[in-house]
Amino acid sequence: MSQDISAALVSKETLKALRAERRDWIAGASALARENKKARKAVMDRLAVASATVPEITEATGLPPDTALWMVASLKKFGEVVESEKDGSFYRYALAAEAAQAQEA
Amino acid sequence: MDSSKNAVFDAVVIGGGIAGLQSALDLAGQGYKTAVVEKDASIGGKMIRLSKVFPTLDCASCITTPKMAAAAHHENITLYTWCDVQRVEKDATGVSVSMIQRPRYVDIDKCIGCRKCEYNCPVLVPDTEQGGFSGRKAIRIPFSNAIPQKALLDVENCMLCGKCADVCPTKAIRYDQKPEPRRIAAKTAILATGYELSSVTGKPQYGNGDIPNVIDSLQMERLLAPHGPYGRVLRPSDGMIPDSIAYVQCAGSRDASMGVSYCSRFCCMYAVKQAMLLSGSLPLADITIYYMDIRAFGKNYEQFYQNAKAMGIEFVKAKVASLDAGQGGAVTVRYEDQTGEGATSRDHDLVVLSMGVLPGFAPGGVCPVGLGPDGFIQSVLPKLSPSVTDLEGVFVAGVAAGPKDIVDTITEAGAAAMQAAKYLTALSGKAPGAANKESSHE
Amino acid sequence: MSEPQRAKAPDAGEQAKVGVYICYCGGNISDHVDVEKVRERMETVPGVAVARTNMFMCSDPGQELIMEDLRQGRINRVVVASCAPSLHESTFRSAIARAGGNPYQYEHANIREQVSWVHHGQAATDKASRLIAAATGKARTLTPLEPLRVTARRHAVVIGGGIAGMRAALDLADMGVRVALVEKTPYLGGGVSRLVRLAPTGEDAAHLVTTLARRILEHPGITVHAGSAVTTFGGYVGNFTLGVSPVPGACAPAGETWPGGYVPGKGVLVPPSPDGGAITLETGVVVLATGFASYIPRPGEYGFGENAEVVTLPDLIQKIGGLEGQRGGTLVIDGRPIRSMALIHCVGSRQIPGIHEEDANGHLNEHCSRVCCTSAINTANAIREACPQTSVYELYRDIRTYGRGQEELYAKASGNRVVFMRFGADQAPVVQRGAPGSGHPLKVTVTDQLTFGEELEVPVDLVVLATGMEPGPVADLVEMLKLPVGADRFLLETHPKLRPVELPIAGIFLAGTCQAPMDAGETCNAASAAAVKAVSLLSKGYVELDPFVAEVDVRRCTGTGACVQACLNPGAIALETMDIDGRPVTRARVTPALCLGCGACVAVCPENAIDINGWTLAQYEAMVDMIVSDAVCQDSGAVPETVGA
Repeated sequence: MSQDISAALVSKETLKALRAERRDWIAGASALARENKKARKAVMDRLAVASATVPEITEATGLPPDTALWMVASLKKFGEVVESEKDGSFYRYALAAEAAQAQEA
Repeated sequence: MDSSKNAVFDAVVIGGGIAGLQSALDLAGQGYKTAVVEKDASIGGKMIRLSKVFPTLDCASCITTPKMAAAAHHENITLYTWCDVQRVEKDATGVSVSMIQRPRYVDIDKCIGCRKCEYNCPVLVPDTEQGGFSGRKAIRIPFSNAIPQKALLDVENCMLCGKCADVCPTKAIRYDQKPEPRRIAAKTAILATGYELSSVTGKPQYGNGDIPNVIDSLQMERLLAPHGPYGRVLRPSDGMIPDSIAYVQCAGSRDASMGVSYCSRFCCMYAVKQAMLLSGSLPLADITIYYMDIRAFGKNYEQFYQNAKAMGIEFVKAKVASLDAGQGGAVTVRYEDQTGEGATSRDHDLVVLSMGVLPGFAPGGVCPVGLGPDGFIQSVLPKLSPSVTDLEGVFVAGVAAGPKDIVDTITEAGAAAMQAAKYLTALSGKAPGAANKESSHE
Repeated sequence: MSEPQRAKAPDAGEQAKVGVYICYCGGNISDHVDVEKVRERMETVPGVAVARTNMFMCSDPGQELIMEDLRQGRINRVVVASCAPSLHESTFRSAIARAGGNPYQYEHANIREQVSWVHHGQAATDKASRLIAAATGKARTLTPLEPLRVTARRHAVVIGGGIAGMRAALDLADMGVRVALVEKTPYLGGGVSRLVRLAPTGEDAAHLVTTLARRILEHPGITVHAGSAVTTFGGYVGNFTLGVSPVPGACAPAGETWPGGYVPGKGVLVPPSPDGGAITLETGVVVLATGFASYIPRPGEYGFGENAEVVTLPDLIQKIGGLEGQRGGTLVIDGRPIRSMALIHCVGSRQIPGIHEEDANGHLNEHCSRVCCTSAINTANAIREACPQTSVYELYRDIRTYGRGQEELYAKASGNRVVFMRFGADQAPVVQRGAPGSGHPLKVTVTDQLTFGEELEVPVDLVVLATGMEPGPVADLVEMLKLPVGADRFLLETHPKLRPVELPIAGIFLAGTCQAPMDAGETCNAASAAAVKAVSLLSKGYVELDPFVAEVDVRRCTGTGACVQACLNPGAIALETMDIDGRPVTRARVTPALCLGCGACVAVCPENAIDINGWTLAQYEAMVDMIVSDAVCQDSGAVPETVGA
């Protein structure tokens, strides 16, 4: 947390006071961010190998299927993952960067 | 956006959903200065969150966004979003609304809606704008068509890491923003406070919300919407394309023991509409609607219902007794079959509960307006002028006065604007002719 | 004819820089048209400066794209490709105006109704490309125009004196608009006068009608023309002219004299119009509140017309009134005790092709009449509560007690031991004479879905048909005012949500059951909503019309008069003597407010001396050139006949 505090137009003191005041929220959010990061990495790593369905992601990552889908949906929203072709009763998902490359090729 | 803390208007509209926007537009169109107070971070209400609307199957955005934009750009309309109304008082001089401007933690005069903060925020939390089916960041633009297109920080999920402030090109982040009291004075008010769906939690027969793949109707709207969480309809437990989808009608309506005793009025039609949309996007899926009576009463609604039947959507007259988690993510629907088979059950991949409609605003302690036994705002002239309440000069529009569909809501919003305009005219004595004596004479 | 808010008038001579904005319409378009491909193609079209896409162009961020490009001077003409122009053309024009541009330097390409909803795949993408390219061709030649401004009379004509007409008239008059209320009968009150107690809140119909009628008659701003009908119609928004004449035979029977007050079943008798004869009304707006007609069953339909014991629900309601003197025992009608009665729902409503029989004109009432379920249950409750010895059976398809307080009436009916039976659309109950000795003149046979399809026979003394609402007899007005009518034959609004009480003809509004079945509260809401639109329209004292009207180039005109002959709206174009180069000559001249912009004159002018502003021949040619050019679709390898083939 080495960011330039002046960017937010708050003094160091104010920020310190805010950190103290919001300690529980910050702790909760930090834990959440760590979890997000782990799940995100697991999904991204799996998709870096090849496109995958939610059950395949679940199998590779150990994430519960609803969590895997939730993370895929979130990554899709921010343009990191794209939906790929249909595979039986599921869709495959792929990394956006690789999908773009594949299209160019 | 008016930033002064005490502002004076001809009219104030509480609620920036489709009812409030229509009322505000109809007042502003006559030249009345009108404030719209919205509790959410964007105007648009429930309608902007819908996929398509019955019976025309227009996309909800195509109808709502122009009205939102028209209100946002109208010279006679001032929007107050992200505001909690504390008190609505009525005295001889008019209406006074006290409210708290909740902090967005963003300077909205500086924010340009570029979403850089959102992309860089490291915290993902379930996005209620998407039925919880995908994540949103702690700082974000509420949704793609939101007005205003301004970021909003959820401090309860913020780790104060400073990334958003770092990347903001206009230095708009304000971590230390505080709630600010505001006061609006007006001569008349329209209450257009809308509704909330009743919750599945506390309804053990429907699994209290613990059964996977049991969702409510607004969640299904998101699955069907163009900006939806998956971009298509998938089963939330595992992303499977559902082959069999069921609707449970009156899930919390028309039964006091289940939630509310009244009819929520528009659930039949949105279930039929969603079923039609589903049969379009999932042509192979079986769609079943468990219902007591199909109430397709509006203009072209019955024809819409008959079309749905002709498309092969199955309507089963039955009161659903309970839901249970079935095998492999399926949901078991237990019901009494009215064709003579008795108690029976069927498995579906996805079950949608048409939940009851509850008032969006509990005026107790906030506004001394009279309520009906159902908790919605009471009309004192339900036949001749349904928007008239027991508070002189305070009118009601839309679902705030009882469940109603969008068509009826928009019409009633226009009517409320008419009655408010008449009240203003009578006050100023500007227009010739009789003064407004509605509430005393009719 | 000036528009004060315009920031700057674009220079007509400046080089055209067209901005093209293509809408996904949330998948409505992009599911069938490759929108990004179309954008790429548009970037290559001559004159196109920018081409952009958006999920919803009509949204605020979408409009902002256009406005920002205009403000930055990147473009000076706009083409939006999205839904039908009837939905959002005005949305985009106003966005252009807000950004300081001329709203008429705009062209709309409909790639939803005309493309994505009817074509798929490459053909859809190609057709969209051609239509948009054509729009850019026209856009390049568009010149700035100003709207036509015409003064509007602060006056309204309300047609129909039921509660909708009265509600609208009072609202308008209270806002200072002078109102002429035209009612064809000698009474005010309409359909509500035929009721007694209104469900679910129990208001007295007579009181409701009298309250409104008294205020109407006392209001200095309202003139009532009762016993009169509109016989001629002309003009345009702000300046309509209506001829109103007495309806032959529309007078109250002897014995009913003013001030006679309320006549049950008819309404409040109105003193005859002082004018007596035909009059002309000059008005700014027209509110249609012509109401509905009750369905009359066909002879033999559920035994109607063949058995005196089969009546309609409206007839029953009038017959029993407030059930005065009927307390405690068995309902008595016309001296006949009714020990058992059946109410049959959906008579003349919810008719299904192939199941129900069309009427003599080939019509089916496929709509739900909305009010009959509650009305039937309300009547059943009243009878059961006053006459507990009378059994009531309700035979229904779906109970539609949708409104506030109505479900409670339904629950109360169960408490009152009204017996409900549900029949399928294709299993209508059968009404027959009762068996001799059964003690009841009729029997009703029904396959009841509530008892697993058991066939039940109910002996009854009375059968009541819950007849629905049909469109009123307004064929003359439809013809005269050129009103749009839906497949259900009710008057058709422009759009049920965007403009629910408006018609495509500016200045004419819909109030109440002429549009669709409604109950009294919904009717009054619709009437007030119509009134608020009318008041807004009249609030400025003028109205603005689109400037798409004919304009004569007097230098080329030779005064042949062909245009005058061809004109579809007499008076819109005329020959005049004018001075040109010091010589008196005969030339054609257009009255813009009367011009329909139809182009009939353009087609016949031998000198090409007349054009429609915003739709000139040159602009059509530019569009056609682009449509037939294959340049824009070259990359698809498709031959021209992919489009529209």
